Amino acid sequence: MSALVFTLKNQPEFTLDVTPLTPENLEGKTLAKIKNLKIIYGNKSVKLDTLFTVKGTDSSQIIIEKSTDKLINAGHGMTKGSITIEGDAGDFLGQGMKNGTLTVIGNAGSWAGNAMSGGRININGNARDYVGAGLPGDSFGMSNGLINIKGNAGDRVGDRMRRGIIIIHGKSGNYCGSRIHAGTIIVLDKVGKLPGEGMRRGTIILAKKPTHLSATFKSCGNLKMQFLRLLFTQLASIDEELSLFNKYGPEAHRFSGDLARNGKGELLILQHYK
Amino acid sequence: MKINGVQIDDTFAEAFPMKATRIIITAMTLKWAYRAANAIRGFASSVIACGIEADIERELKPSETPDGRPGISVMIFAMSMKDLEKHVATRVGQSVMTTATTACYSGLDSEQKVSMGKSLRFFGDGFQISKVVNKRRFWRIPVMHGEFIVEETAGVTKAIGGGNFLVLAKTARHGLAACEKAVEEIQKVPGVITAFPGGVVGSGSKVGSKYKFLTASTNEAYCPTLKGQVKSELSDEIGSVLEIVIDGLDEESINEAMRLGIKAACSFGPAKGICRISAGNYGGNLGPHLFHLRKLLK
Repeated sequence: MSALVFTLKNQPEFTLDVTPLTPENLEGKTLAKIKNLKIIYGNKSVKLDTLFTVKGTDSSQIIIEKSTDKLINAGHGMTKGSITIEGDAGDFLGQGMKNGTLTVIGNAGSWAGNAMSGGRININGNARDYVGAGLPGDSFGMSNGLINIKGNAGDRVGDRMRRGIIIIHGKSGNYCGSRIHAGTIIVLDKVGKLPGEGMRRGTIILAKKPTHLSATFKSCGNLKMQFLRLLFTQLASIDEELSLFNKYGPEAHRFSGDLARNGKGELLILQHYK
Repeated sequence: MKINGVQIDDTFAEAFPMKATRIIITAMTLKWAYRAANAIRGFASSVIACGIEADIERELKPSETPDGRPGISVMIFAMSMKDLEKHVATRVGQSVMTTATTACYSGLDSEQKVSMGKSLRFFGDGFQISKVVNKRRFWRIPVMHGEFIVEETAGVTKAIGGGNFLVLAKTARHGLAACEKAVEEIQKVPGVITAFPGGVVGSGSKVGSKYKFLTASTNEAYCPTLKGQVKSELSDEIGSVLEIVIDGLDEESINEAMRLGIKAACSFGPAKGICRISAGNYGGNLGPHLFHLRKLLK
């Protein structure tokens, strides 16, 4: 069976909500039925084949070609299979995702992984603000799963996240890990101002020393963290892409904080490569 | 049937269903992983009085452990989930967590699980941290050596306990030499353990006793000192009987372990004091798994 491929006919002028394009929603549907699905384009509901050409049969593997940042809600609530977005993706990538793999070859908009509770999001380019964060009014951000960003991320990564892992291979913006309840954020390049501001629990791992650290974080000194050894070994075992974690050792400068909350979170600044 | 001149009795070992778990203990060095593993398997020779049967399964290379450090795989067997639940948490808490630099993980992936970190986390007195990595939940407990990391649960599987064979020798010295070699061979089989000290039982038992409060008592038919006093299974030349008891994850692995063990014992032959191989057969009172010696040696 060949993957189910959706190719954008023209660059959309307005936001295009691709919520229905998930493996579980398309499972068992004929090509004709898929072409007749209604999707929201701007403020109108339109037939899918007015915007996309569709080919292929395997709904467990979805490919969206010629995608742009106007495509919002890609992989919304997906529970299985894989979606590959060739191009950029807009806001709310993988919102409410429960399982499966969502890959963006280009950049992603804000709120990627919002309310995510499982599965994996790969963003090969950059992601904008609020990765894995909770929407205003939500109690929590992401509650499980893995977000792997190869490029940079914007501000407030993981804001109020509950569980899960966010890996940023590039730089992260200001307030990285702000107000997190738990979970793990790893930034392998520079981080912006005030990482971990207002965090209750959870772990923020930084490969480079931050320039601005809140006064409400207290040094616990340089330590060999057994947890880092476990985390890096486990991440490296997931796939080839994450095998780079083999080169990181367990030595870290530990700061506990944010003491303005309950101070049970930690910032770990890596000291050495293996 | 004879192997290398050693008589193989036409009998069978009788084994019973158990529940088993496998835990992986890692430490800064293999030496310290061994210290923890030896502590956890101490006083775990028989469910009759210890509650569980446990032993080291094998050494693990750093590439085989969850945290990339040297480790030891330990298997723990019990008669019920309740027993396993009770003893795993207690023993990991007292034997592994107290050993410097160790961490403890599940070595079995299964639906049924027993608590490890789920119970032990409270030792962290509120400073414990939970982490979910690779769909596995670990607890980080701050301790004086640094951090003790323990997986929330350990997988449990159906298993078989009490696979066995008896080595009938001229003297205890002859029997022990053969048994040591047999245990060495058995240890090469994955998924099996020999929980008794050194893998050898010096005081094999029968089911029941003349005393109502005892569930097991000496197997007088195989006691050399009682040859003239009871209906003995021993001929004149036999002066010592040693038993090797094998617990395993399935019948195949116990079969293989018994086969290798018996062949190793027989390799000593009558010239080195090994006269007969028999097995603990308790007339169907003990369990449903039967391991026929002659059949498995074919």
